[in-house]
Amino acid sequence: MDDSKGCHLSVVIDLSPAQWHLSAAAPPTNLHPLPLNSFLAQLLAFLNAHIASKHENTLAVFGAFPGKSMMLYASTDPATELQAIDANSYPPFKLVDSTIVTRIMEEFDDLGEPAEEAPTSLVSALTKALCYVNRVSIPTSSTSNKPTEDHDPNVLPDPRILVLSVSPDLSTSYIPIMNAIFSAQKLAYQKVTIDVCQIYGPDSVFLQQAAHLTGGSYIFLERRDALLQYLIMSFLSPPLIRKTLSVPTQDKIDFRAACFCHKNIVDIGFVCSICLSIFCQPVPVCSTCRQDQVPYEDTPEIECLSADASLC
Amino acid sequence: MASSSIRAPGTADATPPTALVHPLIPFLQQQSQNTLTRLYQLPSSCLSIYRLLAPLERQLVMSLLWLESAIPAATMAAWVVRDGKQLRPPHEWLYDGALDTLARLHILPNAAAKLALNPTFKTSFRQAITGSGTSGSFGVPAEVDEKRPPLTVEGLDGYALERWETILHYMVSSGTGQSPTKPSTGVLYLLQRSGLMVSLRGGPLQITSEGFQFLLHSPHDQLWALLLQYLHLAETRQMDLVEVLSFLFMLSTMQLGREYSADHLGVSQKAMLEDLRDYGLIWQRKPSSHRFSPTRLSTTLTSSSPPLPTTTTNSSGPAEGFIVLETNYRIYAYTDNPLQTAVLNLFVSLKYRFPNLVVGSITRDSVKKALNNGISADQNPLLPVTVQDQIRLWELERNRLKSADGYLYTSFTSQADYELVLNYARELGVVLWESPAKRCFFGTQEGHANIRGFIERRTTGGMA
Repeated sequence: MDDSKGCHLSVVIDLSPAQWHLSAAAPPTNLHPLPLNSFLAQLLAFLNAHIASKHENTLAVFGAFPGKSMMLYASTDPATELQAIDANSYPPFKLVDSTIVTRIMEEFDDLGEPAEEAPTSLVSALTKALCYVNRVSIPTSSTSNKPTEDHDPNVLPDPRILVLSVSPDLSTSYIPIMNAIFSAQKLAYQKVTIDVCQIYGPDSVFLQQAAHLTGGSYIFLERRDALLQYLIMSFLSPPLIRKTLSVPTQDKIDFRAACFCHKNIVDIGFVCSICLSIFCQPVPVCSTCRQDQVPYEDTPEIECLSADASLC
Repeated sequence: MASSSIRAPGTADATPPTALVHPLIPFLQQQSQNTLTRLYQLPSSCLSIYRLLAPLERQLVMSLLWLESAIPAATMAAWVVRDGKQLRPPHEWLYDGALDTLARLHILPNAAAKLALNPTFKTSFRQAITGSGTSGSFGVPAEVDEKRPPLTVEGLDGYALERWETILHYMVSSGTGQSPTKPSTGVLYLLQRSGLMVSLRGGPLQITSEGFQFLLHSPHDQLWALLLQYLHLAETRQMDLVEVLSFLFMLSTMQLGREYSADHLGVSQKAMLEDLRDYGLIWQRKPSSHRFSPTRLSTTLTSSSPPLPTTTTNSSGPAEGFIVLETNYRIYAYTDNPLQTAVLNLFVSLKYRFPNLVVGSITRDSVKKALNNGISADQNPLLPVTVQDQIRLWELERNRLKSADGYLYTSFTSQADYELVLNYARELGVVLWESPAKRCFFGTQEGHANIRGFIERRTTGGMA
């Protein structure tokens, strides 16, 4: 079990103010309330645990805000200013903690109070995370052999992405999520494992599929008061350790797809025989590839598919 | 944890070998529970020790860290992957090994029934992760001095490299008649004590075969090997081992390019400042200074990244050196580093030197010289097969003679007596050499008592 190169973890945090407000609601409606500040405290402990494990471990954190996504922290980017250090904490931990909390608070202040909250850009954050992993895994000549303090940019073994979601599925994001999954499977240098923790809200169909298809782990958090323990037991170990000490996996996965026409999640869909687009009802002309479809009654070409045999 | 014993060639990439146990771990395991508990009171020590553990051990510690009460051992064991097809369950074996290591470090005592971390370790490590507590174990930063800014990172790197290469260069050229810069007496004493160098009859220090092997290790291993010797030395120097260890761990968690105050250090730790300055682990403006800066050698103590930039010179060429070895025993080394050249000189006879290239060849004489220095043929990894075989043959050549202690039995009065005793000795399997013509044989030391008894019985029996 040689892990001398350390491993990379990208974390995507769903920061929808409305959903976090619901998550913090008092017990009668919500059995295990988890307000955002308590969530952040536990998350930071988890991130520190990741950095603690190995000097070479790298970390990037992405935030998904309503209608906007951004990188909150990356260990590859050197700190802009020298922060004060104190004798009771390990400087890298302090840097991570303060950077992330400050950036999140800044963003929330910028949000103001819009009349209607835009849906969170979870997919956009996920895509940024993938781009980031791809960017730092490509050896570049500009980052010469000079070793930097915390990390060697030429190696990025075992990259993982952990998605912490609180929002229900957004059916419009079906296609982008699928594209993200395929990119994760086929990333240039190494495939990426996507882990998912659904902290609040209903099971996420799409994220379940993302975890399943990339060999990651999907957890629906039942006891939200034990978030940190869940995170550590299931998502801290790199793939190498998971061969010895297992992590929870799903026993059943919801493989349903969303139709391309109305973005509804469908149990039974109709698939274009040319480009494999999915529709919730028979259509004469495929809206994706513009191919005329022979009317449904006459042809078996637009096939009726059960949910489990869909795109994957 | 040990690696599986036999592996097919070519599988190295698929299953990397089991992580080697860090050299400090066995040392810690020898310490008393009292010492370890005192060490675990410091969050920075907990963090550093945690980093030295193997990956599986780290995951186990982290899994148990945030639990308030003990959990049954079976609960944790249920997480271990079971592979029914294999005869010896490899994962359970790894898991048991990890629990054993943690138990001997007193991090996870009484692993038999219930699993719970050592309470001291748990409290301190939690403080390390959350950045709370008041122990000040991560080093008290020095007040910013406007007039004298701290040395830059490049300056620190240069200083550390210069110090470290002085030590290595001194070792490597000790037998060659050159007189490189001498390291301080503290370093010389440590080198001598650790058996890497030896002074023959009061003469100048000479490198030993252990010293040569030491030179072939990675800088990281070299550093830890010296520090381990230092720890052993600290015990005899009546230094407080907990203070010494915790200072090393504190250094490993410090930030490069910062200055820290020396005022809060313990007595033993202040005494260490001078030694560590000699090794290049810390930098001080002047010996009496009340502040110090850790160098890259100390901030990477608990990592496996190369502790030093590889070259001192300002050459434009690549910092990484390449070595080409041809099957005709010629060797081309692209390096301009005098230290690397000196190390090569240990087992290669050098032919030409260019600004960035050294050419030499491996010859019978050069290999014999290396073997005499105590470098064995097994220490040269990844060579072309022909070269490897030839080096092995040369090594065997050297091993033609074998010595054994024993007794020569001679002056037998008759051929019959001789054969009788010889047969007896043969039955015991202790005959090393025999010569019927001279009526003598040579037996091992172990067999002597039996043979003498046999002869005495024969003699007395014959007389009776």
